Amino acid sequence: MDPSRSDLSQADDALVLRAQNGDHDAFGELVNRHQRRVWMVCRQYVGVGEADAAAQDSLVKAFTRIRDFDRRAAFSTWLTRIAINTCLDELRRRRREAAVDDDRDGDEEAGLLERMPDGGAGPEARSMQKQAVASLATAEERLPPRQREIFRLRFYAEMELEEIATALEVHVGTVKTQLHRAVHRLREELGDYR
Amino acid sequence: MKHHLEEHEMTAAVAGLELDAAAEKHLGSCLSCRQRVSAMRDLIDARRQDLEADAPDWERQRQEVLLRLPSVPAAQSARRHFWTRPLLAVAAVLVAAIGLRALWMPAPPVDLAVDSELPVEQILAEVDAVLADDSIPGLELIDPGLEDGVNGNGTS
Repeated sequence: MDPSRSDLSQADDALVLRAQNGDHDAFGELVNRHQRRVWMVCRQYVGVGEADAAAQDSLVKAFTRIRDFDRRAAFSTWLTRIAINTCLDELRRRRREAAVDDDRDGDEEAGLLERMPDGGAGPEARSMQKQAVASLATAEERLPPRQREIFRLRFYAEMELEEIATALEVHVGTVKTQLHRAVHRLREELGDYR
Repeated sequence: MKHHLEEHEMTAAVAGLELDAAAEKHLGSCLSCRQRVSAMRDLIDARRQDLEADAPDWERQRQEVLLRLPSVPAAQSARRHFWTRPLLAVAAVLVAAIGLRALWMPAPPVDLAVDSELPVEQILAEVDAVLADDSIPGLELIDPGLEDGVNGNGTS
């Protein structure tokens, strides 16, 4: 963990202590610090349509259970674990209800091309980048679930390898191996874009 | 001088995994390899930004979370320490073994000579004989004046 993360974790501890005593302001500050990551985690598991609700559910659950937080891991890691579990529960519920909309993923990825932020490059370069991003999104979907999960936690939720290992309850060596395979496979799939 | 990074080294560099010293050194000095790494990193970064474009208004999201919070967190759930698990397992095995033994082991043979009760008449006769005997062992050690002394001044 780099120094800035360590400082953040120590500051989290003080806020957690207050939140454990029912201090909503302290928990609000924790939400402020970590909601982006929680949302990104939820985004990758349940999709953009449900990400807001899943992230809110995760944060409310975190407050409800905050007295169970025993500081064996960083608060952010514990919170990420709650977010992942919340999303997995949601996916199981969806599966039970057999209400999965198969078309949604396709629409979502097609929409990526339209939602690319304008950059400083010219139209042709922007168009190429949009294509490249769309290809990356498609290639990600072809990854084995575990590799995809670890790749996204690493690069989109911007988690450290050790944090991923703790959150997924796997050895850090497994995270490294799966991440290496994921990147290798994506580089192969992307071909010209990489 | 090392040649350009091998595929597995390029992959590791993109993934942010550790490289061996030679590969690290080469990456520091080779513009071509650095560009290849950063091209993939830039692409991943663009995808991340794209995903974030769907993010909600963070302050609104935060306020909605705060509105849903219970007034106080739930009480800490009862949790066993890790070391109680083996102890519980051992205790469970012992209880099971004792139970099985009680179920499956034959009862020991009853010794009638030991378990039979003495006849009441015999017991009464023995008690009478003891009471009739003046020389009960131990009684002679008691000082005949002792009881008077104690009753007299309350001290011995």
